[in-house]
Amino acid sequence: MIPSGDSRLIGYYGFPLRRLLNSAREKFGPGLEMIDLDIDHGAPDSGLLPVTTCRIISNIMNNSVMLRSRLAVIVAAVGEGKCDRGRNISFLLQGLGLNVIESRFEEKEWEERELIYSSGRGTLSERIDRIMYSVIDPSPAPGVPEPCRPTHGFWGVPPNDYRVLDLFPETTHIYGWTRCVEAGRPSDMEMESYVDEGVPTVFFTQSFCAKQDLAHYLAEKYGGIEVDCHREINDSILAKVEAFIRLS
Amino acid sequence: MLIGDCGSTWTKMLDTESGEFEIIQTRELVRRREIFFDAATGHSAKKRCRIFRNELISLAQGALSLVEEEDFSVVDAGGRDIKYVEFEKRKIKKLDWNLTCGSSTGTTIELLGNYYEVDFKTLRPSEKWINVTCGVFGMEKVLEHVSTGTEAEEAVAMFLHGMVRNVYDFTGRPDKLYLSGGFCENNCFLKTFESYCIVIPLGRMVPLEGLRVGDF
Repeated sequence: MIPSGDSRLIGYYGFPLRRLLNSAREKFGPGLEMIDLDIDHGAPDSGLLPVTTCRIISNIMNNSVMLRSRLAVIVAAVGEGKCDRGRNISFLLQGLGLNVIESRFEEKEWEERELIYSSGRGTLSERIDRIMYSVIDPSPAPGVPEPCRPTHGFWGVPPNDYRVLDLFPETTHIYGWTRCVEAGRPSDMEMESYVDEGVPTVFFTQSFCAKQDLAHYLAEKYGGIEVDCHREINDSILAKVEAFIRLS
Repeated sequence: MLIGDCGSTWTKMLDTESGEFEIIQTRELVRRREIFFDAATGHSAKKRCRIFRNELISLAQGALSLVEEEDFSVVDAGGRDIKYVEFEKRKIKKLDWNLTCGSSTGTTIELLGNYYEVDFKTLRPSEKWINVTCGVFGMEKVLEHVSTGTEAEEAVAMFLHGMVRNVYDFTGRPDKLYLSGGFCENNCFLKTFESYCIVIPLGRMVPLEGLRVGDF
């Protein structure tokens, strides 16, 4: 949620290095609210990007334009832990006069955090939210989920429309980029392409995202299904996921 | 128990106790407000049933009940969409549901057939095809062909051929395919399909069978 009023904000997208997020806080004010610009906050379409743009990238641009007078700084993930479009957007935002700090999460900075939420039992959307919140606050939250054996898998990034997550049972393990975020290594290709063999897994991407290449390959390799969605989830996507979960 | 498969244009109903089976046009279902199903599937069923089962699950469970093979594929080419399930060792291997790119091609075939008074039982398959990206674009091409001298029957058969190619591509170009839905009764569609792969019609009851055997 974006706080109402005209208070100053720190925006970020992807998984920037924690030390850059911390230094932005120190420089611009420790009390400033941190806003994840990847999420749909209801901003109007900026009209600055092609319609064939991944929804997450569109969200970053739309949110940044809507909040431009309030954003003290944007801490932008632009390296292999995000995507080329993350880098391009950083360039465009700087061209619009926004203050951007670029972050490249390289291997030497990788962390080795325990995969508590990725391999724990609980509501999938809540566990994904908790993982994404760990970008700005990695301290353990109360109520850590119990580990469980996976009956199903969700691979991918947090979707723009969370309704698809409601279909998964509590014993779903999280794979892909979201798992990498929990581990503190968003550019780790080996971890991103890991799934447990034999676990029926849905490989989810936003449409027009480069991760579709990986999702397609991994779905074929492990016998999962590949699902992509542009804006809101529609009935056919929900039905596919529901049928796969129920019948596999 | 009254179960129903309520598609966009046709509704299939079965009373599982009496065995009474009825097919009506969905526009009639809309008028007959008293009809309420114990279990149902299909676009038009959601507010008319006690238990709703999504179309892919009904198709998959129906196909598993009707086909004994370990590895097989089934496709349902409906009025508005195309649904596909591939099984390996009787477990789901792939499934897909094309709402947008297959948009209304089945319904368009019916509209064109009625308009040009085409009998699909006797219609000769065409070796040519029209690229049917969706019902509206395909219909526009049929009208264009007819206006430039192609026989109406030939133009409709070309549309049908284009749709067959869409279904064949959508299902991953298999060697053999089980077919569900109203096109099982379209002789020209079946003959056209046979030039691409073995096609075995299962009839219009597959999703209903899935509901009948499904656990609720």
